[in-house]
Amino acid sequence: MLLPPTDSKIVARRAEIVSALQAIVPDGVVADKSGLATFDSDALSAYHQTPLVCVLPSTREQVSAILKYSAAEGIPIVPRGSGTSLSGGALPREDGILIGMGRMKRIIEIDYENACVVVEPGVTNLNITKAVEANGFYYAPDPSSQVACSIGGNVAENSGGLHCLKYGLTTNNLLGVTMVLPGGEIVTLGGKSGAQGGLDIMGLVTGSEGLLGVVVEVTVKILRKPPVTRTLMASFDTVSAAGACVAAVIADGVVPAAMEFMDGRAAEAIESYNQPGYPKGAEAILIIDADGVEADVSHAISRVTAIVAECGGKTVEATDEKQRARIWSGRKAAFAAMGKLAPDMICMDGTIPRHALPQVLDEMAKLSEKYQLGFCNVFHAGDGNLHPLIIFDIMKPGEFERAEEFGADILRLCVKVGGVLSGEHGVGVEKRDLMTDMFTPEELALQGRVKCAFDVGGLFNPGKVFPMLSACVEQGHIHVHGAQLPHPHLPRY
Amino acid sequence: MEKAASESQVAEFVRAAREKKAPFEIVAGGTLRAVGKPLANLPLLDVSGLSGIIKYEPEELIVTAAPATPLTEIAAVLGEKNQRLGFDPADWSQVLASNGVATLGGAASADASGSGRLRHGGARDSLLAFRAVNGLGETFRGGAKVVKNVTGFDLPKLVCGAHGTLCVLTEMTFRVYPRPQLAVTLCLSDVTPDTGFAALRKIAHSALEPAGLAYLPSSMSGSMMPDVGQGAALIKLEGAAKPLEEKLAMAHGLLGNAASRIDSDPFVAIGSGDQFADLPGDIWRVMIAPSDAPRVARELNAQYWLGDWAGGLLWLAAPPSDAARIRAIAAAAKGQAMLLRASAESRVLYGLYAPQPEALAGVSRAVKAAFDPLFLFNPGRL
Repeated sequence: MLLPPTDSKIVARRAEIVSALQAIVPDGVVADKSGLATFDSDALSAYHQTPLVCVLPSTREQVSAILKYSAAEGIPIVPRGSGTSLSGGALPREDGILIGMGRMKRIIEIDYENACVVVEPGVTNLNITKAVEANGFYYAPDPSSQVACSIGGNVAENSGGLHCLKYGLTTNNLLGVTMVLPGGEIVTLGGKSGAQGGLDIMGLVTGSEGLLGVVVEVTVKILRKPPVTRTLMASFDTVSAAGACVAAVIADGVVPAAMEFMDGRAAEAIESYNQPGYPKGAEAILIIDADGVEADVSHAISRVTAIVAECGGKTVEATDEKQRARIWSGRKAAFAAMGKLAPDMICMDGTIPRHALPQVLDEMAKLSEKYQLGFCNVFHAGDGNLHPLIIFDIMKPGEFERAEEFGADILRLCVKVGGVLSGEHGVGVEKRDLMTDMFTPEELALQGRVKCAFDVGGLFNPGKVFPMLSACVEQGHIHVHGAQLPHPHLPRY
Repeated sequence: MEKAASESQVAEFVRAAREKKAPFEIVAGGTLRAVGKPLANLPLLDVSGLSGIIKYEPEELIVTAAPATPLTEIAAVLGEKNQRLGFDPADWSQVLASNGVATLGGAASADASGSGRLRHGGARDSLLAFRAVNGLGETFRGGAKVVKNVTGFDLPKLVCGAHGTLCVLTEMTFRVYPRPQLAVTLCLSDVTPDTGFAALRKIAHSALEPAGLAYLPSSMSGSMMPDVGQGAALIKLEGAAKPLEEKLAMAHGLLGNAASRIDSDPFVAIGSGDQFADLPGDIWRVMIAPSDAPRVARELNAQYWLGDWAGGLLWLAAPPSDAARIRAIAAAAKGQAMLLRASAESRVLYGLYAPQPEALAGVSRAVKAAFDPLFLFNPGRL
């Protein structure tokens, strides 16, 4: 992975830069070696880099002052939320200031009259829900890292989760964002009205992976918790029957709250890992949630049950909360379970049109033979978001390289069938060099010009998302060694 | 006027315009030509030939169509499969006194959303992908034809509400949703704005997933429903027969059994502003935090007005002399006042929206220049 070359002149000015930042944030500059080690990667741990310095502002004015300083001095900036990115979005630079938003974690206002919450960017995704759940509300997007990931990071990555088909991604659940532009100006986009009075800059900034500025305040919609949620597990003898069932459910007009797919290998690994009760010998398993008012849910559950039967599958419905949790515990442990099968694992993230599933699964099996590596598939089936897990042993010569090539081929396959390189993990450094497989040079140039509209100096998160002219063909992934993900306490799904 | 009926013809036209540095107006159905700052007799590029459904994939919940496809055609085709567009496009042709045909591309470009925006979001929330020609005369794609995508910048968001100032759209892919089998509207009569909007917010924040929540003062309800006293709070609920029954029972519970069913569906007219078509004066759409609706409505003090989106949108008719006052009220409420219909002079003076703070205006201009460096497309309309 080739990143923009380090500017040794900036590195040489380190002491001066540290004191300039200390003047802005007296109690929030991390400059010692051991302190900086904490920040040397995000959850894409295959890549490490100690930042020049890390600054932890507490106010938007401090953020603005830092950015005015970095713009005037031409110093690169890498924004960071909680560091749970799976694509290396917060990978630091040796010649760059890492600006960590973790200290800005106030819930500014809970407004039930307008069903929204105003927060600082360091508030975790789950803490928004926790702040309002006693009143029967919740915040819908639920990335697997929700206990740790920050809402500012969610905005940067346009985070998804299990419920996107029905409830959308982060971008569909925002009303307002206040951000500091690379030049230090503070702009407010939207607000409780959601209206921006011009171009949808909030929509552009959401998912921009820290390339356009630093988010300092977010207004999110909250929703009333559905009164009823029911969960079905369906098992199939063939992958294609499960794929057909997914298509048939959608075509029937049912919009499940979640619809998750696991292939036989994944289900078997999970069953031996934490025994959620997945049927033995099934080639594919679906877990389906329906939520809403009682009659809506009953209707959805009876339709899904009938469709599963028509597709040759068998259903089991969770009879109580405990069993629901047990069925879901398996799916949520998929990464950890696969990690038990081999010392190392990488997780991919692409989206395909649902109808291409059988073809993609077939071709993945061929790729698995070609590269002589095992894999399994978990899949947010409702929205076509695939998470193939490739297992390998980094100690065996050549296996890591083969795994990376296998992964890159899977993503190219996603693009070939009309899908995309990333459904929810982001491009970051991980998939940056595959962008040319998806976009034409004109399309990449246009997006580059959009970046320049915010960041004329090219100081914001350089080397992320957009390929460089002479980049090596090499990709990183979520690399898991010894079943230990970065942030091992976080479930990943 | 030149016609372009294919993407390559559009690209050819744009390259020629670029050579001549000659800005132009993009026209398809023509309903929105009097929205935003007037374009002083610029040449026209007629893209009405870019019409028709290109690919409809009901199982994937997506439809791909050319931008000049009439909204009625889309609705009819999706209706055959019991589906509907992911957003609720509004046809503003009546209120804008246009004989044109409301199109998919127009509704998305103008962010014209009806009452269903409350539940389904706007065009931005359902446009997944598009093809277009930029100001360099290059064809490009934004987004992708899948529901979940975070690869590169989210360009579909930008083209929605851009009023054709970024690119010439040539193809659009939208999410579609199952169409509910039944819909019922409840009416809470003789309620003040305070009581009416409070009732609407109660329903908005329930699990009922309402499809429309509007308040009509007595001045506006006349032709649509019987005497409603001081005003009516209208609640539209959807679903299959049994779930709908359950939702109605829940709604009656929340409203203290004071609401009654009405036979007609007033929300098409409410969402498209049809009731303002014959009123004199300027027509405004003021977007605010829903709980501010009663207070802002009082301050606006218009004779003819209504509230949609549970109070998040106020429509009103006002004399042209009120423009500055309306903008000031909206700004004080941290909202946005969109001048939808006005004389050319007023539109020159006041623009579609209030001017943005300089930093944001600068970014918006720069983003526009990234797409269209010579500002060829509908220059100044937004």
